[in-house]
Amino acid sequence: MPEATVALLNASGLHARPAKIFARAAAATTADVTVSKDGREVNGKSVLSVLTLDCHEGDQIVIRTEGEGADQALTELVRLVESGLGEAGEG
Amino acid sequence: MNARLTGRAAAPGAALAPAFVVIQQAPIENDLRRTRSGTVEDETARLQAALERAEEELRELARTVEATAGEEEAGIFEAQAEFAADPELERAAEEAIRGGASSERAVFDAFGTFRELLAASESEYLAGRVADLDDVRDRVVKVLLGRSTAGEVPDVRSVIVAHELTPSQTAGIPMEVIAGIVTETGSPTSHAAILARALAIPAVVSCAGLLDTVGDGAHQLAVDGRTGAVIVDPDAAERDAIWNRMEEEGRRRDELVTLRDEPGRTADRHRVELAANIGAIQHLPAAVEAGGEGSGLVRTEFLFLDRKTAPSVEEQVTFYAEVLRSFPGYRVVFRTLDVGADKPLPFVERESEENPAMGLRGIRLSLQRPDLFRAQLRALLKARAQASAEGSGRLAIMFPLVSTVRELLDARAVLRDVAEEERADLTSLEVGVMIEVPSAALDAERFAAHADFFSIGTNDLLQYLFAADRLNGAVADLGDVLEPTVLSLIRHVVDAGHGTGAWVGVCGEAAGDPTVAAALVGLGVDELSMTKVAIPEVKDALRRVTLDECRQAVEAAIAGAQTPAEVRRILEGKLGSVLT
Repeated sequence: MPEATVALLNASGLHARPAKIFARAAAATTADVTVSKDGREVNGKSVLSVLTLDCHEGDQIVIRTEGEGADQALTELVRLVESGLGEAGEG
Repeated sequence: MNARLTGRAAAPGAALAPAFVVIQQAPIENDLRRTRSGTVEDETARLQAALERAEEELRELARTVEATAGEEEAGIFEAQAEFAADPELERAAEEAIRGGASSERAVFDAFGTFRELLAASESEYLAGRVADLDDVRDRVVKVLLGRSTAGEVPDVRSVIVAHELTPSQTAGIPMEVIAGIVTETGSPTSHAAILARALAIPAVVSCAGLLDTVGDGAHQLAVDGRTGAVIVDPDAAERDAIWNRMEEEGRRRDELVTLRDEPGRTADRHRVELAANIGAIQHLPAAVEAGGEGSGLVRTEFLFLDRKTAPSVEEQVTFYAEVLRSFPGYRVVFRTLDVGADKPLPFVERESEENPAMGLRGIRLSLQRPDLFRAQLRALLKARAQASAEGSGRLAIMFPLVSTVRELLDARAVLRDVAEEERADLTSLEVGVMIEVPSAALDAERFAAHADFFSIGTNDLLQYLFAADRLNGAVADLGDVLEPTVLSLIRHVVDAGHGTGAWVGVCGEAAGDPTVAAALVGLGVDELSMTKVAIPEVKDALRRVTLDECRQAVEAAIAGAQTPAEVRRILEGKLGSVLT
């Protein structure tokens, strides 16, 4: 099962808007996606679940994908987080 | 029954219309069936249909609000739509249905799980989302119970009366039928009040006795959103008065719109720059839209808060350049980092302080942490170089909490050093001092020799001058900008600045009050930087008075008044009702 650890770059962490962008991108893939922080793992396609992880800038999160297109999904999601989830550099 | 009530003014404008009382709904949980009567398939289909419908309604609301109030205000409804579409929420509810629960009970409990997680969070942001989530839950459950989600809607244009309004209640009533809003509780900073201002609906909040007086049935209401006055069943004279106020407000609105691209000035064409305070990148479009002539205060600390590592130079450059690009042709004053021990930064190690307002903050911290300070100055200079290629605002740099000339000279030396490394030309760069410590205000001449401008930060200056903690409600009455001694001190700072050719601005909250703004102009202040929503009103007010009238009014007030109330009375007496 492919997985990757990434640090959140965007200033507001996983607030509503970046959480939405992540969950939508995850939902668009055919793979199962989970996100975990500090050992708590949730469905990456659920914006509410991702929100409750309470992720802040600089936090390390682990993304896991499984099933059809898992490798490609992981690459895409990691790239999305590294690009700042639509709000790089915003204050 | 004729009655006069007073609340807090929350959105300007006036209205005369029948009251429409929004009934507070009974808690919804009591109405839920515990167990399902239909098959798992039927009940699941009902659930899915209800979630879809709630999502569609919320997306529609977001579109309406975006079209009328703007993107920022619409964001809350977009987020709510995502909640309604959440796959985990649906999964949890479906599981409960398979276990025998009714669809409404199942979805109520599924929301409850997320609600608990959010409410238990230490993050203020997440805890604040609980009300948004509850709002979605109630919408979904109402769909399942076959109740209207739109809430009751008046069939004639009315003043909406409620205990308090949620954002979705406010946005859910068609604008055409809202003449005004009056609530028993709530504050001018509540989301509903902000929405009312964005939609130009007159509103009064925190109006005690409102529901006792009008809750029983048909009443006419006269509402003045500028004074907070609410008249129940006004008599003929009171009706005439409110009609006049409505006409006046209508004229004023038309004028304010036409003023947007006009420069700030007095009636006799004395130029006063009216700039916007910028606290976050999201504020930029609205600040430009409000007619802000650049910014007199960009609070750069927003880039530094809520993060574990200091922002890189590159990250800062992106932010600063975007601010500069938003104001082509205008000056943009960036205040260097100003945080104290009250807002700890993980990347700044420090002792906790008994009194952070007087501790290691502002320029004091920057001079102790040259790594942070140099990176910020470097980013500002790089941003200027980057943005100027594409037409942008003019960079100016301001140092906060300067209390001695030594600090100013040291800060300038660091800037010179960084500029040399960056091969940046400093001759066209304005460098200024934020005047907020009494020592700097009293000895302004000495600082003026080393500054291109002063910007008076009234919020902190008042707390230090009157020894009255801004955050302590028990002493909130102390430290009014209209105290005669404050006006004299501002006059002193202005004269000192002008003596060496430095311009002088004011960037505290006080600048957004039209009466205070006129007084400041009378004292010789060249620039006023304020919250974006105040700009059109101040611009309008200043164009109705001459520089000489402002001068005479403020001099008469300083000479003849003992208290802030007397100062205001004299100012408004001399400058007329145009300012109220």
